[in-house]
Order: sequence, then structure tokens, then C-alpha cells
Amino acid sequence: MERRELIRWLVATAGLHGLVSLAPAELLAFGRDVHRRVTPHATRRTLTAHAEQTVTIAAERIIPGTDTPGATAAGVSDFIEKMLMDWHTLAEREHFLAGLTDLDARCRARSGRDFIDCAEADQVAVLSALDEAKQDWFARLKYLTVYGYCTSEVGARALGLFQLAGRYDGCASL
Amino acid sequence: MTPPTFDAIVVGSGITGGWAAKELTELGLRTLVLEAGRPIVPERDYVEHKPPWEMPFRGLGDRRATASRQSIQSHSVSFDELSHVFWTDDVDNPYTTPADRPFYWFRARQVGGKSIIWGRQVYRWSDLDFEANLREGIAVDWPIRYKDIAPWYDHVERFIGVSGQKEGLAQLPDGEFLPPMALNCAEQYVRQRMQERFGRDRVLTIGRVANLTAPHNGRAPCHYCGPCHRGCITRSYFSSVNATLPAARATGRLTLRPFSIVKRLVYDSKKNRVTGVRIIDAQTKQEREYTARVVFLCASSLESARILLNSGVANSSGQVGRNIMDHIKWGGASGQLDGWTDRRVIGNRPNGIYVPRFRNVTSRHPDFIRGYGFQGGADRDGWEAALHAPGIGRALKVRMSELGPWSMSFAGFGEMLPREENRATLHPTLVDAWGVPSLHIDCRWSDNELAIHRDMNVAAAELLDAAGAKHIEPSTSGPSTPGGTNHEMGTARMGRDPKTSVLNDWNQTWDVPNLFVTDGAAMTSSGCQNPSLTYMALTARACHYAVEQLKRGEL
Repeated sequence: MERRELIRWLVATAGLHGLVSLAPAELLAFGRDVHRRVTPHATRRTLTAHAEQTVTIAAERIIPGTDTPGATAAGVSDFIEKMLMDWHTLAEREHFLAGLTDLDARCRARSGRDFIDCAEADQVAVLSALDEAKQDWFARLKYLTVYGYCTSEVGARALGLFQLAGRYDGCASL
Repeated sequence: MTPPTFDAIVVGSGITGGWAAKELTELGLRTLVLEAGRPIVPERDYVEHKPPWEMPFRGLGDRRATASRQSIQSHSVSFDELSHVFWTDDVDNPYTTPADRPFYWFRARQVGGKSIIWGRQVYRWSDLDFEANLREGIAVDWPIRYKDIAPWYDHVERFIGVSGQKEGLAQLPDGEFLPPMALNCAEQYVRQRMQERFGRDRVLTIGRVANLTAPHNGRAPCHYCGPCHRGCITRSYFSSVNATLPAARATGRLTLRPFSIVKRLVYDSKKNRVTGVRIIDAQTKQEREYTARVVFLCASSLESARILLNSGVANSSGQVGRNIMDHIKWGGASGQLDGWTDRRVIGNRPNGIYVPRFRNVTSRHPDFIRGYGFQGGADRDGWEAALHAPGIGRALKVRMSELGPWSMSFAGFGEMLPREENRATLHPTLVDAWGVPSLHIDCRWSDNELAIHRDMNVAAAELLDAAGAKHIEPSTSGPSTPGGTNHEMGTARMGRDPKTSVLNDWNQTWDVPNLFVTDGAAMTSSGCQNPSLTYMALTARACHYAVEQLKRGEL
């Protein structure tokens, strides 16, 4: 975690002045938590539960379960979380998370609720509008969703991808 | 005086080191192969069958680790989330370039070297290539002609196994081929249409590739899994690990020492011979020396030059490190083809098409000398097209499962002229993680290469037009970065005159009779064909010569 992000996180979670009221054991736990987040790659960092739910539902709307599995069944949100936390830059992640916040704002304007609490039809409508507007954070979400689905075991099996045929036929019937 | 520990020392275990090991041991020499990197155990280290869901980043690679440790190596086309372990660490192995002239130096330090991750395309050269420098007054003349190397091409092809199609073209001699891999429906069609428009001038053939299409010398044929650069558990493509080193080991005369970084050659000025090699153990950093009657440098073009420069030998011509060449790429075009909507490709063919050089073969191009070949192929768009497709939901899901139209692409590989100013020198202060002085590499394209690069777009579009392709899109990439094709060569060239070349016609250094250099450093010009086959043939040829000379007491 970079210093700027760390400070933001500290302020957002406890508020530094709140630490004085904590018992020693709580302080130790807090310190461990901070160190865990500061040590690069040491432990997996995670999205907030709200962001994680938002990503999971959005991915399922992008690739819904039909007669074949959808994004949730393929575990796509775990892949997206991994990419956001361990692959993208901090700036890219912040841009993406700002997109999720904007998604909630759009849903509240439309139906008075955060994205995850909206009706499915509203969720689809808002995501489709973002897609048509070519919002770049949404393009990133969609890219990660499609990529994560196709490269998952469940998705690849559903689509018949990455199978070893053991031969080459350059002109096979469909 | 104690006799030498070994008859021969080979520095490097890559594509030429493996060949030197095989030839020298089979000819009776007790041979030590020194490899800078770790040992490779195929059953442990090859990972070609791992599906994407077993990779943390699903094949997109560990971007942060790559940025911090392999920012140069990652530009190689065969660098990926799994194969990155077969490339060196850029922090441990530094070098410099002028700020405005980047050069990609791709390196592999492990038993097998880059033969594990090579592109496996193998093409013979012809006298169009060997005579070019003399004919055009460029650099120096090759001291050999096609007839000198042809039997050695045969020798190498018979052992490694090359699948390919005979075409009877003078500029790209046919070899000893295993059955060719198949062209797919679209490629067959393009071949036919090109034949109608260009006759024998521009021929599309299946790539000639060191992947087996039939059982060969105890190795199994290719099973078309795809990612050869991650290894090959069935040993179906040629590498040192898969073929030459096992053959050398079978003689009982091979000693292979991994983790052996060559610091310098040990030179006896009284006898004018190299007496051995001083190494640093990569793990313990302890130094030690090995002695031998003959030394072969097969460390890769720039590493062999670096060893010569660090040793201060074999450079009376001042040509060591000069004349760096690579192949210029990233010109070409792609286009869509109608038809075969009920057809698809099954399996991952580790090979594409090849269009042998057609410029300056029978007629003279006004803008440049030499020429280029095209590699490429046809396929249908798959799920990747959905990554940027519009829409969400069921429609997108359907899109993911559908195949798009067939598209055909041609990507050029162009010859680079040898120029003395394209040069690697010892860095005055920079050393690698083992304290060995590093290189400063100064290399750039000349106007001739840039003209070749521009022409690739034009000619590729003509080929696609002949095929009736739609939406023809010429490449928008500028020229590749020098070194980026990983065909670097020329840094200890062969020639006819000790004053202007480092090696004679047997890859023997003019200055030190028992020192040979048989990797890409030996190349006097670059051709436009993938060069490894020529390196292997030169190595085998030089080994037989060296052993004859040893027996005669000449070395």
C-alpha cells in the first residue's frame, strides 16, 4: 500500500484520534492490520464488502447465468478483485472504485437505492447506459469480466475453450 | 605440467552449445559444458499444459514483478506469465544503451538457454545471402558459400527434425523435411490466389519448423497443444534439453556444469592458446578454473562478444562487438476473407505460413537492397473479440461463443545490414550481480532497414488484395526496437582477412587457433531468414574441423 492510500485508509476506517480510546489488545490488532496492508504482496488485500458485492452483481449482469453458467458461477469477481489489488496500479484501482461509486449515484438517482439493492431491470439499464457511453472504467470492468469468465475453468468448459485436441485440423466442420 | 582437465570446453548450453556438446562428445572429446544458469528438469520445469485458471493472473502475467525485474525481457514475444522463468532478471544482468537508442537484449540463462523459448522456424540460406556482401560491396565477404554449408544443413536437419514443404525455390533451398504441417482452408486459398497473380515470384508455403510431425530419433510427434515456449514434455520440438544434450550425455563424455558464469578465458601468451576458462559459481560466487585443449564460445552473440572483450583476446581486428544485426519487423498487413463460415481450426498449430523473400531476387527494388520474408497465418476471431464488443447480457454471451470471420495476416522480417558503428563495448563501470563487466550497446536501424520496413506494408497489402481480402489494414506499428526480434548476431564475424574479421571460414578465431565462436556472433550478414539453423550448421561444421585439427596436433 502506498503512503497516500494508507493515510486515506486510516482516516476512513478509525480516524486516528479514535485510537486513544482503544485497549492494548485492540491497538495491537489494529497495528497488525496496518502492517498487513503496508507489506506489499504479504497478504491478500480485499475490496470492501460493498464494492465486492457491486462487482459480483455487475459481472453477473454482464454475463448472466442462462442455460450455461454466468459470471458468479465462474467466480469472476474473485479474479477481478485479484487484478484490482495485485495487478493494476493504484491510480487505475482508484479510478475503477470511483466508477463503482458513480454507479451507486446513478442508481440512487434512478430508483433511490444503491446498485446492489436496485431491481435487476434497473441494474441492467444503468450498466447498458454506461456501456453505450463507453465509460472507460466500465470498459475495464467488462474486459475483466469477459476475460475472467473465459479463462475460468467453468467458463472455458461452457465455451469449449483451452481444450487439448491432440491434433490439428485446419479445416474442420463446425 | 598437469594435462588439461577436459579435451574441450563449451561455453553455453543453448542451441549452439548443445550442438557443440553433441558433436564434440560423439567425436570422442571429453567435453565440459559451462552454463551460467540453473539446471532444467523437463518433468519439473515444463508447464505447457497448464490452463489459464491455474495461473494467478490467468496469463496476463505478474505486472508488478515484471516491471521491477524483467522490464526488458518482457518485450519478447515468447515472454508470458509462465515462460518468464526462462528469461533473465534484468536487475541482476544490467546493460546500457544511449538514451535515444534503445536495444532489447533478450537473454536466457538455464540449461538449454534460449532453445527452450525459441520460435523454432528454420530456413536455409542460399548464395543470394552468402554472396550479397561481396556483390554489393557491403562490409566484408562471407568466407563460405552455400556448397560449404549445405551438407551441414542436411546433418542438422536430419537430427533435429524439421517439418516443411519443398518448394524448389533458389533463394530458399529445400531441406530434409518431415511431412509438412497443414495449411488451413483460408491459407490454402490465399496460396492459390497468390500463385495466380504472382506465379513463382511470391509463394506462400507452410512454415519450416523444428516441431516433429512424425516420430523422429526417439522423440514423439507434436500434439498441437500450442505454447511451445513453456517447454515440451513430449520433446516434440527441438531444444538442447530435448535432443542434443541427451545425445551428448549418452556418449559418457559430457560433463555439464550449471551455475557457471564465465568471467574470462585464460590465455597463455607464450603459446598463443587459451588454456581454459575462469568461472564464478553463480550460487557461491567462488571462482575456479577449468582447463581444456580447445574452447568453443556458444554463449549467444552478445555474451560471446562480452567474454572476448572481458578476456582481451581474439580482437586484433577490432571487430569484436561490432556489426550488431537483428531483423527489423512490425511491418505487414491483415485483412478479412469471406467464406468457410462452417469451418474452424482444431488444435494449436505451433507454426504459421512463410512467404520467402521476393524483393531483389530477380529484379531490383529502387528503394533498398536485400529484402524480407513474411510470416503469419489465417484464423477466425474467437472469444477475445468479445473483450471489446458492445453490449452486455445474453447478446454478449452469445458473442463470446461465436467465431468471427477469417482473417489473414502477414508480418515481415527484414534483413539488417552489418555496420561497424552498431557496436557493443565494455561498460567502464557497470557490472552484473557477479561482478562481471557489462555491455554498453549502441545500435540503430539504417535507412535501408527503414525502407524495407515501409515496403512490408505495401507488399503485404498486395498479397491480401490478390486474395480478395476485405478491410485490408496495413500495420500502424513503427519499426521494432533493434534486438526485439531476438535474432541478434554479427559481433565476431567470419571473414577472409584477419584484419577485418574475427573468425576464419571454420569459425576459428584468427588470433588464437584453439578458440572457436559458433553462435550468432559469427554471422557476416543477417539474411532475412530466422538464423538458428545456420548457427547450428556452422557449429557442427566447426566441431568436425576442430577435432580433425586436434588429431593432427594443429591446435
